Amino acid sequence: MDLVKRLLKARGLSSLAFLIALFIIVGAMNPAFLTPATIAACFNTSVVYTLVAVGVAFTLFIGEIDVSVGSNLGLVAVVVGSMLRDGTPLPVACLVGILIGVAIGLVNAWGVAVMKAPSLIFTLGTNGVLRGIVYVYTNGQWVENLPKEFKDFSAVTGIGDFTVYYCAVIALVILIHFALTQTRRGRWFAAVGDNANGATLVGIPALQTKILAYVICGVMAAIGGIIFCSRIGFVTPMSGNGYEMKAIAACVLGGVSLLGGVGSVLGAAVGSVIMASISYLLVFMGFSSNYDNAITGVILIVIVVVDALLQHRSIVQNRHARLNARVSPKATSEVLAEQIADFGEAAMSPLGKKGGVR
Amino acid sequence: MGETFDIDIDATDPKSPEGKDVCEQCDTLLSVRGIRKSFGSNEVLKGINLDLAPGEVISLIGGNGSGKSTLMKIIMGIYSADEGEISIDRQKVDISNPKAALAHSIYMVPQEPMLFPNMTVRENITIGFEAPKAELNKMLEDTMKEIGWELDLDRKAMTLSIAEQGMVEILRGLMRHSEILILDEPTSALTFDEVQSLFKVVQELKQKNIGIIYITHRLAEVFEISTSIGILRDGVMAMRGKVEDFTREDLVRGLLPPDAAEIKKEIAESANIDYDAEPIFELAEFTGYGFADVNLNIYPGEIVGLAGIVGAGRSEMATTIYGMDKVLGGKVFVDGKDITGKSTKDVIAAGLSYVPEDRFNDGLFRIRDVAENTTSSLLANSSLGKLLLNRKEEDRVSQNYVDNFRTKVTGLDQEVGGLSGGNQQKIVIGRAFSVAPKVVILDEPTRGIDAAARGDVYAVLQELRKQGVSILLISSDMEEIIELADRAFTMYQGRINHEFKKEEITQDNLMSAAFGL
Repeated sequence: MDLVKRLLKARGLSSLAFLIALFIIVGAMNPAFLTPATIAACFNTSVVYTLVAVGVAFTLFIGEIDVSVGSNLGLVAVVVGSMLRDGTPLPVACLVGILIGVAIGLVNAWGVAVMKAPSLIFTLGTNGVLRGIVYVYTNGQWVENLPKEFKDFSAVTGIGDFTVYYCAVIALVILIHFALTQTRRGRWFAAVGDNANGATLVGIPALQTKILAYVICGVMAAIGGIIFCSRIGFVTPMSGNGYEMKAIAACVLGGVSLLGGVGSVLGAAVGSVIMASISYLLVFMGFSSNYDNAITGVILIVIVVVDALLQHRSIVQNRHARLNARVSPKATSEVLAEQIADFGEAAMSPLGKKGGVR
Repeated sequence: MGETFDIDIDATDPKSPEGKDVCEQCDTLLSVRGIRKSFGSNEVLKGINLDLAPGEVISLIGGNGSGKSTLMKIIMGIYSADEGEISIDRQKVDISNPKAALAHSIYMVPQEPMLFPNMTVRENITIGFEAPKAELNKMLEDTMKEIGWELDLDRKAMTLSIAEQGMVEILRGLMRHSEILILDEPTSALTFDEVQSLFKVVQELKQKNIGIIYITHRLAEVFEISTSIGILRDGVMAMRGKVEDFTREDLVRGLLPPDAAEIKKEIAESANIDYDAEPIFELAEFTGYGFADVNLNIYPGEIVGLAGIVGAGRSEMATTIYGMDKVLGGKVFVDGKDITGKSTKDVIAAGLSYVPEDRFNDGLFRIRDVAENTTSSLLANSSLGKLLLNRKEEDRVSQNYVDNFRTKVTGLDQEVGGLSGGNQQKIVIGRAFSVAPKVVILDEPTRGIDAAARGDVYAVLQELRKQGVSILLISSDMEEIIELADRAFTMYQGRINHEFKKEEITQDNLMSAAFGL
């Protein structure tokens, strides 16, 4: 029971252990994998997933979900990509990209938090609309010929073999983690997801918190879109397709509860590395990377089911332990005598009888 | 109609309804004037005036649907009033959301605790505060020491009992140094000693000049802790005055509808129970999580009370009998048939029905209508038709219970989520009896429902008993057991420690046994 409890508590850590175990197993099957460069590549590849997953984690914290992040990323990527291709200065293009993310976040927040539509369905709808806009905007064409220095920057390393992008994103994730766990407002997200009515009652502005969560999610996906342009070097109309599943799986793998209120962005970041590594690992294990999506889906299902089982088990066991503690062969008489003395006064009072019976 | 009530308590009210202060100690903390609120065509509050002075404890009592909760929700900023104004410290204020209410030092401890299940107790209490963590923790420890409650602060809220959740809510309110504290039936889930320590806290808060609005259904509590009383009936303040000016009879009269005088209290007749017959229900050395070695039997047509303090293991025993938890030992027989460890479906089929304590979570299909709720137990067998539902039969059965129980509904198609607590409870009880059971276990059937509805429920139980149904009545309300039970048992720390015959069932006997003496 303790083990189950600790596993549940340290989900972020256990997913890190899972990641390391995964690397060791694949390394045992193919020693060529265990080079600093390959392992760093797994992390570097995860940079876009990490951004998207951390954004999605915010919507999961508040007990909702955002499945429009893939198209959000795609739209920002084609817009920013085409602007850069046409010579727009980088800061301007980035600003436009982030504003698109904010706008998408606001639309989702309006539907989910203000109009109270089911988040899965509403964001599924915006996902479709956004993908449609991408096709209209690009006319189905790829966006190519991005500035060389923009593309090359994605390969510049910061610390060791880790790219500047990855280092910056990890710094951002740690900052967000700190803000979520150590600040007063940071706790609001999980509180709203845990019990929205209760949050309102203790003065937490639940509506604003929900709106903010969606805006953060939109912005994170937008930043992901910009980095996507830089890393891949071209943008197809299908860019970002399927990222929502990867991001949700990364969150769940990292211990973020789909029921809201539980999890950390660090866990989501670790989960993202696992998600990004799968196609790499498959190649090193001698499989086709075509299995990537299917495996991601299987991982998602397995974790969600196992989580549900573990959670149920721990609730039942907690309850049984609590109940057993109450059954005792003999009462301690002294404590009781005190209680009765205290209570006696009330029971003896002439008014200590309930009225209201017809 | 409240204004025409024959005792004109308003005359002795230090504050006249017009809001002119005529008293000597004229500082009002909270002043509510002419509050009106309608939901659709249903006017719930019809011009409420209420004043609260520092150090005053107003007990606000009233039947289900009298508007107490609505009024409190307006003060707390959860609803907004259609008309009327609220002043705090003589300043007119606009309370449009709970945050504004908190800023005006108002805190409400809701009837159903609103905790964050995934957070620890400490986090639950300190969330929403501006102060730094260390300061909050110190404040919390001081508060706990002051009132002498023990609670593991690092436990997750999801592992707390309802009583413990209530304690956390009260701690939240205390931590806020609220000047106006609203307690909405805080004792309904507390054990006796917890109630006493709560009352001590209330007394201390009174000394500290905090104004308290105390909502309760337990009339004894009213006299124990309040300084004044307000009775709400049908959206008007029917009576209002100092506690000294009231007697218990006044309260009962104020609560009951004007036509209540005709309804006489039905005295429990000692039914003819054949104690030589085979018991219809029998527990032998029954053991499970939270209770052990229970021996208990019920004869046909008998009401057996099971008293005890909250957490004694009574509900756990009931749910285990009902097939919802693992049996660890012993046997259960219904009408001679062994149903130990059977599934809930088989237990019902054997003739046992259970009305749960927590009607909100376990009892009702909230978004379904009255008829569907009443007959939902019949869906498991073919009495409503083998393949297609017989809607007429469904309506007939439901109407029957609505009429017999005097359930207030707009129609059989009303959603039960919108009904008051007492009416919801009547529907849950109706459902339990719709399967024509031999034995029914009722778990706290009148918890949180008003006096009138309670009387209705008692009458229903007496009637069913006459028809030969046996009842196991689990109740923490000793008077309820005294009034209804033919025999009573007490459970203490998971074990049956006493059995009482009809004539032995007294408040004193039950109390001391419930406390393990």
